[in-house]
Amino acid sequence: MTTLFILDVPENVPVVDVASVDPAVTVDRIGPYFRIASDLPIVIDRRATGCRHAVWYSSVAGLGASRITQWDKDAMRIEPL
Amino acid sequence: MEHMVRGVDHAAFPTFDPAGTVTFYRDVLGFPVVHSICAAGWGPDKHPDFIHFFFDIGNDDRLAFFYYFGLEPFDGGPQGDVYAKFEQHVPIWFIRSRHLAIHVDSERALLEYRRRLDDSKWPVEMQVQHETIESIYTHDPNGYMIEITRALRPVTPQEDLDANLTIDALLDVVSGPDPSMAALLTRKAELIVERAAAWELSNR
Amino acid sequence: MGIHRIGLVVPSSNVTVETEMPALLARHDDSRFSFHSTRMRMHTVSPEQLAAMNAQRERCVMEIADAGPEVILYACLVALMVGGPGEHQRVEGAVAEQLAAGGSDALVRSSAGALVEGLRALGARRIALVTPYLRPLAEKVVAYLEAEGFVVADWRALEVADNAEVGCIPGDRVLEAARSLDLEDVDALVISACVQMPSLDLVDDAEGEFGVPVLSAATAGAYSILRSLGLPVAIPGAGSLLRADSVSAVSVPV
Repeated sequence: MTTLFILDVPENVPVVDVASVDPAVTVDRIGPYFRIASDLPIVIDRRATGCRHAVWYSSVAGLGASRITQWDKDAMRIEPL
Repeated sequence: MEHMVRGVDHAAFPTFDPAGTVTFYRDVLGFPVVHSICAAGWGPDKHPDFIHFFFDIGNDDRLAFFYYFGLEPFDGGPQGDVYAKFEQHVPIWFIRSRHLAIHVDSERALLEYRRRLDDSKWPVEMQVQHETIESIYTHDPNGYMIEITRALRPVTPQEDLDANLTIDALLDVVSGPDPSMAALLTRKAELIVERAAAWELSNR
Repeated sequence: MGIHRIGLVVPSSNVTVETEMPALLARHDDSRFSFHSTRMRMHTVSPEQLAAMNAQRERCVMEIADAGPEVILYACLVALMVGGPGEHQRVEGAVAEQLAAGGSDALVRSSAGALVEGLRALGARRIALVTPYLRPLAEKVVAYLEAEGFVVADWRALEVADNAEVGCIPGDRVLEAARSLDLEDVDALVISACVQMPSLDLVDDAEGEFGVPVLSAATAGAYSILRSLGLPVAIPGAGSLLRADSVSAVSVPV
């Protein structure tokens, strides 16, 4: 299970929106955090989010038994540990 | 625990160029000179006579400088400022990690300080804007990096929680065997699961 | 036991501080003192010259702190009081900050502050003063002391403008002015509210004559110095303020 947490603040919302396009991805909330989960790796295209670098590279608040295998100007890829 | 402190009484730096320093802060940026002390090195650590002078940087906070008569700059470099010199191999991102950022409330204020710097010998070197902040950067005559910044939106309570979770996770991770961002994010996820729901109940 | 180094910041034409302070403190039983002074140029006790004098303060503190004194007496009274209520605290604070910034351990006191300290130590509320000043300056001294919570029941201004002349005012003239005061219900008499008008030899006799505690800017200064250094206040022949810690001789009836 791939799980990542993103804080619910306005500039992070596009990241969550793009992640949730994938039908395998579920999004719920825990406190003020979005919990984004999938049985498969989660891939988020940066350009689709419209985020600039500072927000993009600080958008992940937590990883649940997962690791980031790609995090660059093109995309973020999170896989289960 | 009562939080009784009231900001920056002064952040102090040495200078070898008081004229340039006064020109930059008082004349270019318009920060008033609000205090000065003339003294010698009377304690056990003998040192030259000096002037300690202060500029107001808003909110009654002050930026202060020490100028020591007759003192020559120390060896080192080529990177860094008059206080801290670094050899060529030290990465610039590390050197930049110590700087003073001064707050303004509006786009109008930021643009005005931009104009003052651009009209001077110390023009803005970099302007950065992203979703939450907009900043301009330059180096003062002493090589100290100065940022002037405005927030594009107010800080929210959940960011307060998030910061505290980050710190708690960081302290756990650095006391462990192999600190890394991955380890921190994993630990932070555990803390989110533990605490975030309850936080929201008591804060919304 | 070491010699206590006392720094004095005096108006340049002042000769009385450097005469009376050593004379007083030499009478101390256990302790020895040395005196080191620095001067601020001033001839006429006028508001303009007093302001110009205060501008030299930083230079004087620089000079005197080099000698490593234990305490520095900023020997000005009217020069401070002319700055309005609270001025001695402000100036003492500025001098203390200058000393601290340079790592000096020296304590700072002022003659104006010492007078207030001495009057409070005597528990005085209603006081009378003799000053050598022109009336407008004398009124500033009265106003300053009233702002510190004292009631100035009566006062005299001898109206001598030249500071060198003030240093030569004969004791008779000071005593005559003191005798003309209405001392009814007065708790203390300041026989010289001035650091230049000599009065040391008058203090004890005046106390005997008038039956109230008598002090001067000089005796108050000595009191303040001794208290700052934690030394016993036991100086004979200069008024009851300076005998605060004296052990009185007990006469045993035969």
